[in-house]
Amino acid sequence: MAAAISIQGLTKKYVDVWQKQEVVAVNNLNLEVQEGEIFGFLGRNGAGKTTTIKMLLGLVFPTSGDATLLGKAMGDNAVKSQLAYLPEETYFYDSMTAWELLDYYGRLFRIPEPERSRRVQICLEKVRLQPDAWRRNIRGYSKGMRQRTGIAQALINDPKLLFLDEPTSGLDPIAHAELREIVASLKDEGKTVFLSSHQLADVEIICSRVAIIHRGKLLTTGTIKDLTAGERTEVTIQGKAVANGLLNRLQAIAPDTERISTDTLMLRTDDDDQITPIIDLVRSAEARVISIVPHRRALEDVFVETVRREEAAS
Amino acid sequence: MVAIAIARQTVREALRRRVFWIFLIVAVFLIGLGPVLGFLTPKESQTIMRSLGLAVILLAGLFITIVTCIYLIPVEIERRTIYTVLSKPVQRFEFVLGKFLGGFAIVFLSVAAMGAVFLALVYFQTTAVGPDAGVIRWIFSGKVPDDMIKGVILTFFQMMLLAALTIFFSTFATPVLNFFMSFFTFIVGNMSSVTESLTTSRQPITRFIGSVIHYMLPNFGNFNIQNAIIHPTSTISNENVFIRNNIVYAIIYSAVLLILAVIIFDRREV
Repeated sequence: MAAAISIQGLTKKYVDVWQKQEVVAVNNLNLEVQEGEIFGFLGRNGAGKTTTIKMLLGLVFPTSGDATLLGKAMGDNAVKSQLAYLPEETYFYDSMTAWELLDYYGRLFRIPEPERSRRVQICLEKVRLQPDAWRRNIRGYSKGMRQRTGIAQALINDPKLLFLDEPTSGLDPIAHAELREIVASLKDEGKTVFLSSHQLADVEIICSRVAIIHRGKLLTTGTIKDLTAGERTEVTIQGKAVANGLLNRLQAIAPDTERISTDTLMLRTDDDDQITPIIDLVRSAEARVISIVPHRRALEDVFVETVRREEAAS
Repeated sequence: MVAIAIARQTVREALRRRVFWIFLIVAVFLIGLGPVLGFLTPKESQTIMRSLGLAVILLAGLFITIVTCIYLIPVEIERRTIYTVLSKPVQRFEFVLGKFLGGFAIVFLSVAAMGAVFLALVYFQTTAVGPDAGVIRWIFSGKVPDDMIKGVILTFFQMMLLAALTIFFSTFATPVLNFFMSFFTFIVGNMSSVTESLTTSRQPITRFIGSVIHYMLPNFGNFNIQNAIIHPTSTISNENVFIRNNIVYAIIYSAVLLILAVIIFDRREV
């Protein structure tokens, strides 16, 4: 399978003139996204996700590094006819109707009539925007309707590669679920989606692979299955001995042990073989095991662990 | 053509702005006030109406052009609508050209609207017979002096040049800074007889600064042929050639400004 996006050493540095400081927004990013996959691009606010997308689209210029989109250099106008972008916030011309907006964007893609009108209708139907809203000013739209219009404008050129920046944020549960379905359906049409999102539950459902970026640096990348592999077990312990050094002895076996109240500890371990020695230790200290709960690792756990580990290391 | 689509969208957005309509309506009202003021001093009624009309077209055109054009590019960046435009197969020069064409259309519409009202009033002021002699005879008995038409046309090209200048500034300056820069350049550019005198100064520094200002800044003063005070020593041997040259000057200067705007905007991150 060919790479839809291939990023090599992409770096973006800004110079803060007032503080005479260099800010690294994206740091030597290397990444490949295969054609036909929905790829999750995860990171905290300010991690460099939007800057990366803007560099790929030619809106900002990289300090160093390079990338290709669908086999052509990023920013190349020829490849843009096969791309689509939905920015983080849906900023549109409020005085236009959804139909007029899509017609305008269709013109920018040089789509002739009557094909343009046909495409507008298909896109508005696909995102399930109510037909009575098609000819109403966007100014009066709800957040969900704006987001649907945003996705519709991204589909006007029937793109091969879509960059979606937080397409489901701030929506009510029904709109959220519907838009997630729409994004997921793009994979069935053979489109590649580069999805930047904080909605990790969504990403876990619809993405095949993800990358986690922090302070501009790529921390990890892999399939959801690989990243979330392995169960974690949470053990809750209670007793007076907690105050008498039990915490330290447990941390020697399971480092991820923390005090959650004066007489209660919680520990997490990936290794099932550790459970028996832990129980033995707790009993010998005359404390009680309150619960032992196995947990499947969620993408959120992986994300939090990965980012925290990086923050602790730096 | 992509630039035309952007221009159409630009006109649409600009026409939505209340400030445009306020300037235009006040200007048309003031032009319409000309004949009333003329009645107060019957002997100079024509002079008052014509001077007032051309001055109002110039001033309203100045404010409409600057206030409209300073926002054309920055508002797209500020509202981030530019993301969905430039991420499409739109070259940056097409974007700048589309914005200029949109601004140009607004300038044309406003000067044309004010000019039409003004020339209509001038026309009816010159009618040879009154309405009592028959409406048809009255309507066809007027005449618009060539000077008035030329005055309106030159104001239009002056505003076109100003629109290009303002769009050029908007590729790197904030709207507030752009307002003052455009306004200042327009004022200085209108004082061409003063800046020209600086080019022959005995002081080398004054001569240098005067030359830079006189030859680098657009010469807006040349478009004000009706104002003899600004050009006391000028004698125009062939008015048609002078007007044609000014129009060519405005077109070439605007083209150079747009090329510079594209060069700057091409390197700008959004």
